[in-house]
Amino acid sequence: MGLALAISGLAVSGRDSRTLLAVPDLEVAPGSCVAVKGPSGAGKSTFLFACAGLAGTASGSIVWGDTDILALGIQKRAAFRRSAIGLVFQDFLLFEELSALANAALPGAFAPAGAQKAMRLRAASVLERLGIAPLGARTVESFSGGERQRVAIARALASDPDVILADEPTASLDRKAADALVDDLVRLARTDGKTLVAVSHDSAVHERADRVIEIIDGQIASDTTYA
Amino acid sequence: MLDPVFMVWDGLPVAAQDALLFVLLLLPAVLVGLLVVLGFRPMTLVRAMMWRFKWTNLLFIALIAVSVGIGVGLIAQERGLRQGTARAADKFDLVVSAPGSEITMLFAAVYLQPSDVPLLTGAQYNAIANAENVALAAPIAFGDSYRSAPVVGTTADFVLHMTDELADGRLFEVHTDAVIGANVALALGDRFSPAHGVAGAADDSAHAHFEYEVVGRMQPTGSPWDKAILVPVEAVWEVHGLPNGHAPDDAGRIGPPFLAEQFPGTPAVLVRAEELWANYALRSQFTTDETMAFFPGAVLASLHGLMGDVREVMSVMAIVTQVLVTAGVLAGLVILTRLFARRLALLRALGAPRRFVFSVIWSYASVLIGSGAVLGIVVGLAATEAISRIVTARTDILVRSSLGWPELHLVAAFVSVTVVLALTPAFIALSRPVVTDLRG
Ligand SMILES: Nc1ncnc2c1ncn2[C@@H]1O[C@H](COP(=O)(O)OP(=O)(O)OP(=O)(O)O)[C@@H](O)[C@H]1O
Ligand SMILES: [Mg+2]
Repeated sequence: MGLALAISGLAVSGRDSRTLLAVPDLEVAPGSCVAVKGPSGAGKSTFLFACAGLAGTASGSIVWGDTDILALGIQKRAAFRRSAIGLVFQDFLLFEELSALANAALPGAFAPAGAQKAMRLRAASVLERLGIAPLGARTVESFSGGERQRVAIARALASDPDVILADEPTASLDRKAADALVDDLVRLARTDGKTLVAVSHDSAVHERADRVIEIIDGQIASDTTYA
Repeated sequence: MLDPVFMVWDGLPVAAQDALLFVLLLLPAVLVGLLVVLGFRPMTLVRAMMWRFKWTNLLFIALIAVSVGIGVGLIAQERGLRQGTARAADKFDLVVSAPGSEITMLFAAVYLQPSDVPLLTGAQYNAIANAENVALAAPIAFGDSYRSAPVVGTTADFVLHMTDELADGRLFEVHTDAVIGANVALALGDRFSPAHGVAGAADDSAHAHFEYEVVGRMQPTGSPWDKAILVPVEAVWEVHGLPNGHAPDDAGRIGPPFLAEQFPGTPAVLVRAEELWANYALRSQFTTDETMAFFPGAVLASLHGLMGDVREVMSVMAIVTQVLVTAGVLAGLVILTRLFARRLALLRALGAPRRFVFSVIWSYASVLIGSGAVLGIVVGLAATEAISRIVTARTDILVRSSLGWPELHLVAAFVSVTVVLALTPAFIALSRPVVTDLRG
């Protein structure tokens, strides 16, 4: 089941100690699909990285379930990400020289020995659900953008996390591929009950979300929940 | 406190010491590797990184291979030369000649390098031949040539001393018989006229009236003697219009004893004692105002000692090159890992423990260093093999290339040092901020 998110008093500052993002109070129900939109440079990626415990300097609290990741040290944050959060990026960030399955099962390389096999199987089954032959020996170098992003999604889900954080997952895809991908991503998140937070300026994402949060100038400017 | 350790060490066979030293030198690399990689499986990613910038990676490996190859090659080549020259002088227990430079005589009598030297008289030769414990006293009368092959006057016993058994044909029985070295381009039954002098200075017409016939061929000796033509010393004298060592009514005789008053002289005499120890007595006996006696092996050893100093300078140079290459490789690794910065940041964003990312970078560096080192051994040996062939072809001294412990020790030390130093690029890569790298 997905995790609930509760943010309070969050302030993220950049290297020049300028405040990039301020979120006084935000709650996200477990298993919901949240889209984050806003103009370029507004702080959307900053928000997402903060939720993953990757923000450099942040104060306040970001609580997933009952874990405040800002209260954790670097190693414990990494461990939390490893088990609870799956990340998807705009430009996929795959290892081009590896096969789809090797990429999707990548988190297995640093998982405990006992969990590696399960992760590999899971990665293979997610790939299959996304229509990519997991046993293909082809390296992802020759994959289309849509296929690459599916591999990235399979990688995010390999450790069966409760949360998926996606930053502009459709930005590198053409319209058709983007629509198909959003369908897949949202469908997977919903059927498995994951909490999905997707930063996107793509209306296809907004339409399928339960809730759309708009960030402007580092502040939440609007927050709309759909029935 | 360490005394017992040294005692055990000294008690070990040399091969065991070498093997142990190799293991000890490699140990830091292995230990660091175990500590860094333990519990992780970084190789899939390392393979991906190797492929990603394969030409850059190959260039790095080649760079390391060349530097390691230089070190390996220098050591192996020096040993090959040392052993080859020693093997070529093996048969020459004690050489007696007129006083002069031992080194000149070594080069002339043992390696057949042309040189003008004064002669020993018949009386001196007989004194040597009749001395106590002398098993063999063979004149070595060099100075003539046929084409590029030195023609050396000596006795049949000397031929048998050089080659236990002829490869082909028979020993000389008459003055015009010749036995050729293994690599002389003549066949049994061929006839030829010697020239006075050697190589460029040879005067082909000088002995046109005299003809030798090839009657035998020696086994290969791995020395310049493989290119030499051995003839009865009497013939060399006759060719020059001199008495031939025997009484005029016994002129057809071949081999010792020689009559002192009919003996025109020989530049050198090879002496072999019946017992090893007697060589020393013979050497002092013939170290006089009129004669010089020396062990070619000992002269060679002091020459090698001199070469040893050169070798040390060369090894220092080889090490300096390797240190420079190591520094270059480390700097390159820092840059290469920056090329991977986004991928490495991704791993950390996915929750990879720092130690895992560290192990990936370090393993990547170690694969480059390790393959470069292994390839370097191959490069070094190939270079040594090539140079040895050239040296063998030019000097007829058989130089063999081989892989010995000193090279392996050098490579092991190089690998350990670089692999331990490769921890630095890994630390540097880890110190980079994740989000900055992720944004690319
Ligand atoms: N480490 C940093 N130090 C200082 N400023 C930063 C840092 N990282 C990002 N910024 C700034 O923070 C602001 C928000 O950046 P962010 O990437 O979150 O925007 P965004 O909403 O994701 O924009 P886009 O839609 O273009 O991706 C930008 O002005 C950016 O330049
Ligand atoms: Mg962004």
